[in-house]
Amino acid sequence: MNPVRRKATLALVLLFTGVVALAQQSLDRSKTPPPGKTPFLHVPAWTKTALPNGAELIVSEKHDLPLVAFLITFQGGTYQTESSSRRGLAAITASMMNEGTKSRDGEALSNALQLLGTSINVNIGGESGSMGFQSTTSKFPQALDILADMLLNPAFPAEALERLRAQRLVALTQAKDQPASIASRVFPRILYGAGHPFGQNVTEESLKAITRDEVAAFHKAYFQPGRALIAVAGDVNASSVKNTVEKALGAWPKGGEKPAFAYPALPAPHSPTIFLVDKPGAAQSTFAIGNPGPPRNTPDYYALQVMNTMLGGMFQSRLNANIREEKGYSYGISSSFAYGKGPGAFRTGGDIVSAKTDAALVEFMKELRGIEGSRPITDEELTTAKDSLIQRLPGTFASVQSINSAIVSLWTQGLPDDYYQQYSAKISDIRKEDVVRVAKQYIDLDYLTIVIVGDRASIEAPLKSAGVAPIVLTDIEGNLR
Amino acid sequence: MRKHACLWVLLLLGCVAAATGFQSRPPAIKIPFETYTLPNGLTVVLASDAATPTVAVTAWYHVGSKNEMPGRTGFAHLFEHVMFTGAGHTPYGVHDRFTEGVGGSNNGTTSNDRTVYFETVPSNYLETALWLESDRMGFLLDALDVDKLNAQRDVVKNERRQSVDNQPYGLASEILSSTIYPPSHPYSWSVIGSMKDLSAASVEDVKNFFRLYYAPNNAVLSIAGDFEITQTKTWVKKYFGDIPRGKPISRPSIRPVTLDKETRLVFEDRVQVPRLYIQWPTVGEDSDDRFALYVLDAIMSGPRTARLTKALVYDQQSASTVGARQDSSEDVGDWRITITPRPGHSLTEVEAAADAILDKLKAEGPTQEEIQRATAGQEFDFVSGLQSNLGKSMTLADGGGIHNNPGYFQTEYQKMLAVTSADVKRVANKYLSKGRVVLSIVPTGKLDQAAKPSESKPYRKVEQ
Repeated sequence: MNPVRRKATLALVLLFTGVVALAQQSLDRSKTPPPGKTPFLHVPAWTKTALPNGAELIVSEKHDLPLVAFLITFQGGTYQTESSSRRGLAAITASMMNEGTKSRDGEALSNALQLLGTSINVNIGGESGSMGFQSTTSKFPQALDILADMLLNPAFPAEALERLRAQRLVALTQAKDQPASIASRVFPRILYGAGHPFGQNVTEESLKAITRDEVAAFHKAYFQPGRALIAVAGDVNASSVKNTVEKALGAWPKGGEKPAFAYPALPAPHSPTIFLVDKPGAAQSTFAIGNPGPPRNTPDYYALQVMNTMLGGMFQSRLNANIREEKGYSYGISSSFAYGKGPGAFRTGGDIVSAKTDAALVEFMKELRGIEGSRPITDEELTTAKDSLIQRLPGTFASVQSINSAIVSLWTQGLPDDYYQQYSAKISDIRKEDVVRVAKQYIDLDYLTIVIVGDRASIEAPLKSAGVAPIVLTDIEGNLR
Repeated sequence: MRKHACLWVLLLLGCVAAATGFQSRPPAIKIPFETYTLPNGLTVVLASDAATPTVAVTAWYHVGSKNEMPGRTGFAHLFEHVMFTGAGHTPYGVHDRFTEGVGGSNNGTTSNDRTVYFETVPSNYLETALWLESDRMGFLLDALDVDKLNAQRDVVKNERRQSVDNQPYGLASEILSSTIYPPSHPYSWSVIGSMKDLSAASVEDVKNFFRLYYAPNNAVLSIAGDFEITQTKTWVKKYFGDIPRGKPISRPSIRPVTLDKETRLVFEDRVQVPRLYIQWPTVGEDSDDRFALYVLDAIMSGPRTARLTKALVYDQQSASTVGARQDSSEDVGDWRITITPRPGHSLTEVEAAADAILDKLKAEGPTQEEIQRATAGQEFDFVSGLQSNLGKSMTLADGGGIHNNPGYFQTEYQKMLAVTSADVKRVANKYLSKGRVVLSIVPTGKLDQAAKPSESKPYRKVEQ
């Protein structure tokens, strides 16, 4: 709006006070309303103490709703604890903890938890595991007692192992019918190789080999306070909840320690290659493109966050704006870095209509080259990426569960306590040249792995003609054919 | 009614608190809100809560796939995509710039009955969000062009490929709906629609659909989160007040269907493991019987002591997974069982086993403890949902749009907790009768793996 017009409107309103309708007609919709004052970043506060058995305890109070989130996190995961011939042991052990304790069988456990309106979830991921629940405040002590019983006194009935094994074998067979699941098995296998834990998948053989003794031994070695952080967020009092937790877990003896996160060397890199998995008749081609990436503690983390936000972290990121919105080849394209202690993957991809498989690959490559310098970054792009990352933060502490995750991730990744307070400044510092530099450094176009799961009969010839990279056929496990 | 149920919850909580010595305040089964209607018919709901410095805005429209014309299946959802391609004063990209690009998010969703647009933004961007939503409610057609429609048509076709055609078992829901409902019934086709109909949609279709259904009198604007009420009312009037009311919308009465016999189908898919679906037509959101049907599904599947799960997965070990669920749309509903067998067990066997469990339930009804277990999680689920501004704004919008009462969630909550064993027994007998569809999805070439193969008719996929 030009100043003259604004003055004129003001004069009118002064002359005819109460002419609201007139003022409303003058609404200029082409003008973006300016934002109000930026909300203050309220990072939740927490206390940190230790239990006598060595487990660390953090408590973050939040009293607006009668809710509690309780989470024990264990350092180390399947990559540190499973052997290649027993992939799936950790997940089966986690499930077995819901199968009964020395004083409650599986049904009694389930019924008790249902009546408390909660469930206790045990999960073991690649580099950490957890056991926890959420409940209303009044049910918290009872749910905690059940969790302690499951943690300390699991019965591991042999018949349950056989049932879980059979269920997992069916699920594995079904996963092999699903293009996205196939891509998620083949991609890491090619990137890291069969000798690296990141490249090893759960197989029929590994599931069939697991014994009850191995489950019991895994439990004993893994669920130890020396590697554990207990997080409680919500409607509790920090000092009294410490007593409650100590009492509930009083029988958990000292033991265990944080694992080393040592990984074998990566396989020798290969020049860019398309690894084609045939899925006859597939309506779409599922893409997974990438390479091993940096660990979470890389000093380039913030530059990488800004870079990836521009490339494939948002709806209007370059990849999605081009391949979905402009070309219409897909329902959605994204990219990400799997940060952790090891070389987690950079990965981009999506599901592409079969007939545009070759054209889409050309566009993927164009955007990857683009972010590495061939398509200059605009001021608007840089500002949007930074705004998006920085202004997302105040909303991330909305639930008791998200507060727990936010605090726990500082501990698992070894980040400072004032990480969230520092975040905005670190993102703001990133310049265009940082973005291009980290794109070049961490997305290596000379050694790119391109996995495509699709209908070979219709896509192989066009892919060959596109000339992006040679094609190698693999089976659904990523073994070269 | 409301008072009575609240008291009941209070008493329950009070007992537990006394038993454990843990302090407890009255449960927060409420969302404080204000509602009013603008002269153009727009229903406005405001729920202010400063717990998290974000605001969620939901623009809810009473239109869905059931309002589509013959030959235009999938159009309501395609239209939803068009709503993100820019409007008169907010060119393409601006919506994302001032939602996701400032740390928020946006999306839309289409069902048989409603189309819902929503964004969460940092609280200082509320006025911007209202500007964005009002521009596409008032001025979408000013920016409409055929290239944008065509690009979104391709995107939606890919959405269909990704979620239906290229998904194992992906066609199950379409087969079941098109079998339960006669071809002209508005719930017989899927929300995503057919490829042929998506190809046929025109710019003219977009204009007509917009003029009729995207008027303020067919919408609810619901705002939840950290905002100041008086200021927000001024903004709502400023941005939405001058959008003209649309023509009255006639809503033909759509009745649930009943089936007088069982229909058995078998469909060959690119899968290695067969799967069984059994579906009965039940009731929509206008019938309170749905609450007993929700409780019934919780009694039948989910936790290991739920009846079907316990029998098939644990005791007989004939199934790898079992699911049962009641789904109610505005006018119709269905109750569905899905069973994946373990190797060595046939679909015929698991069907018979499931029927035996259902027959026992129908004869005896559930126990009081089963009812308690099935509904004990309600309070946690509700209170936990209050942590999300988006969840609150959507709940209020839906109550306002469907039940003419943004606070309808309280009624629903009370009705769920009021379900008795006799109610469950009655609805099981009333709805889960012989009139049903039994669909076997089997590996290609393995028609003999169907449940009762000789009685199951092969389903032929219509060219989409």
